[in-house]
Amino acid sequence: MALQVNVNDILSQLYQNRGVVEFLFANRENITVNELLSREDISADQYQKLKSLDLVYEYESVVSLNDAVVAMFEDFMEIGEVTPGFINDYINELKRHIRFYQEVHEHRFLRSIKKYLKRINVALTREIIKLQKNVDDTYKNEANYRIKIHKLEDYREKRDTIIDFIRKTEEIITDTRQLFVHTNDQELYGIVNSLKINLIENLDFLIEIQTDITDYINKIQFQLDVYVKAQRLKEIKDHGTLHYRTNFNEVIKDINSLRFNNIKGPRTKIAIDFLFTDEGHVLCKKVAEKYKLSRLMMRGIAGKLPSNFKDQIIDNQIKLDVEKLVDRFLNQNKLNLFEYLIDYKFPKAVGNITFEDRLSLFVEITMEYQNNLDFKYRLNYHDYLDNEKVKKRLGYTLILPLTKKEKVMK
Amino acid sequence: MNEIDYNLPKQTHDIFAIMARGHFISSNGTKDNMSRLYDIINNPENFDRLQAFFNVIRYNVERGNNYFYFSRLNEANSLIEQKLETFERYIDVIDLFASMDNKITIGSRFRPSEIAEECNANVRLKQKLQKIPMYRSETLLNKVRDICNLMTRDSFLELEDEQTESYKVLDAYTYLLDMINAISIYEETTGTDSNSSGIILN
Repeated sequence: MALQVNVNDILSQLYQNRGVVEFLFANRENITVNELLSREDISADQYQKLKSLDLVYEYESVVSLNDAVVAMFEDFMEIGEVTPGFINDYINELKRHIRFYQEVHEHRFLRSIKKYLKRINVALTREIIKLQKNVDDTYKNEANYRIKIHKLEDYREKRDTIIDFIRKTEEIITDTRQLFVHTNDQELYGIVNSLKINLIENLDFLIEIQTDITDYINKIQFQLDVYVKAQRLKEIKDHGTLHYRTNFNEVIKDINSLRFNNIKGPRTKIAIDFLFTDEGHVLCKKVAEKYKLSRLMMRGIAGKLPSNFKDQIIDNQIKLDVEKLVDRFLNQNKLNLFEYLIDYKFPKAVGNITFEDRLSLFVEITMEYQNNLDFKYRLNYHDYLDNEKVKKRLGYTLILPLTKKEKVMK
Repeated sequence: MNEIDYNLPKQTHDIFAIMARGHFISSNGTKDNMSRLYDIINNPENFDRLQAFFNVIRYNVERGNNYFYFSRLNEANSLIEQKLETFERYIDVIDLFASMDNKITIGSRFRPSEIAEECNANVRLKQKLQKIPMYRSETLLNKVRDICNLMTRDSFLELEDEQTESYKVLDAYTYLLDMINAISIYEETTGTDSNSSGIILN
């Protein structure tokens, strides 16, 4: 260790850099020095100080907290790897001190005995809780099945080790019962009693964990077996004999889930009363919005046009001509529809045909004879003077007669 | 009558909304509070009440290994052809999953690009993937994506993170495995069997 250290130093350093410590604890093993120093709550000096106290390590520019610090946090939070090994150390220490006490009945040995009994009690419970958490986590989240099985097997071993320790502890307690009775120490009596109860409880808990582990391993094994079977089925299927060499059809026939029987969820109509409420109005608006995009709505708008035909007589007379007009248009190929209409010389009997009337006619023809027309979806422009002699420009769609070929195809 | 009279959990509607769409409720699902819903159905008291309640409207809650789903009471299962087609495709998919180096099972997380990569590197896998009938998927990656989409729609997978496109395999996947396990293969003991397969092959 680089510097002489005391508890106060370590605590104050940890406290001063608590943000960093928390950050490092949460992101173990993947924080680089640069990443750490880019944080606002630590300067290079502070970092050096932490390093000199051995509170953080740096290895290939990856920063990690001192293992002892991590272990302390993990112990308190009952997370992390299961490490039953040190329970064994406690047990050995306990045995040692009991031996001492048997030789000389001194109070200081008794105190150590109490300490280790308490420690064993706490450590056993904590390790078992960690074991439970780890087993669960491994089964649910370990992605690689081979590692998963290995890990679970490891936990099974650790469980056996813990059971071993529980047995050992029980033995010690029974062996030294006489001794403990002689001490006539109320506190020791309490500790031993709670330890005994906990040992039994923990044993039960471990048996439960064991069932879990076995269950999980079986499930994984089942999955693997099924996978082998799936591969065989696939082979059979590729040979085209799936329906003949297996009972695939019967099994599938019995499948009763809604989805695979194409049973849709129930659909209900909207209550009419709801449509009169504010929410209902919003809904209606949405629907209207949606339908504006469809062809249906386009036609609805176009329907307003006939009101342009103010003069009913002319309207009727022109209408009589429309069919012939279109026929003539279709039989030429020099002009597009718009030009054709603008320049067309109507018979005098029809009367004066204004520019507006010709426009209306253009729209009417495009709508009614759309199947015979070739829409180019290109805009041409037409310059003209309006009623107030102002220059105006009008864009129109280029429409040509359908060529014969296309007609046949239609 | 309301929920209090039946003493139903207050999530009953959510449960119904998911399961009536034909989806599974898996214990390791995260979307729509799914694991919570699973716990609620899994509670024996709740289960009995929900079962009784849904039975009135002819839905039956079916319990699988860490998942639940609905079936319909007293209704003949129909659409045999469509079902056969669906599950034949699932055999293809599971066969693909089973043949991967890093087998995809319950709880696995993966990205479609990983699968596509592995298929690209391994000719056997590539062929398997290419032969799975899916519409309009040109590249390997798109095909894997389509498969993932399909399985997400059937609630066997969950799109855990849209940004990284990572999927998680839900407990409902056991349903497929159970189905495969239920199929028995007749052993070829007699000569007629091999004959018949010969006819089909020709």
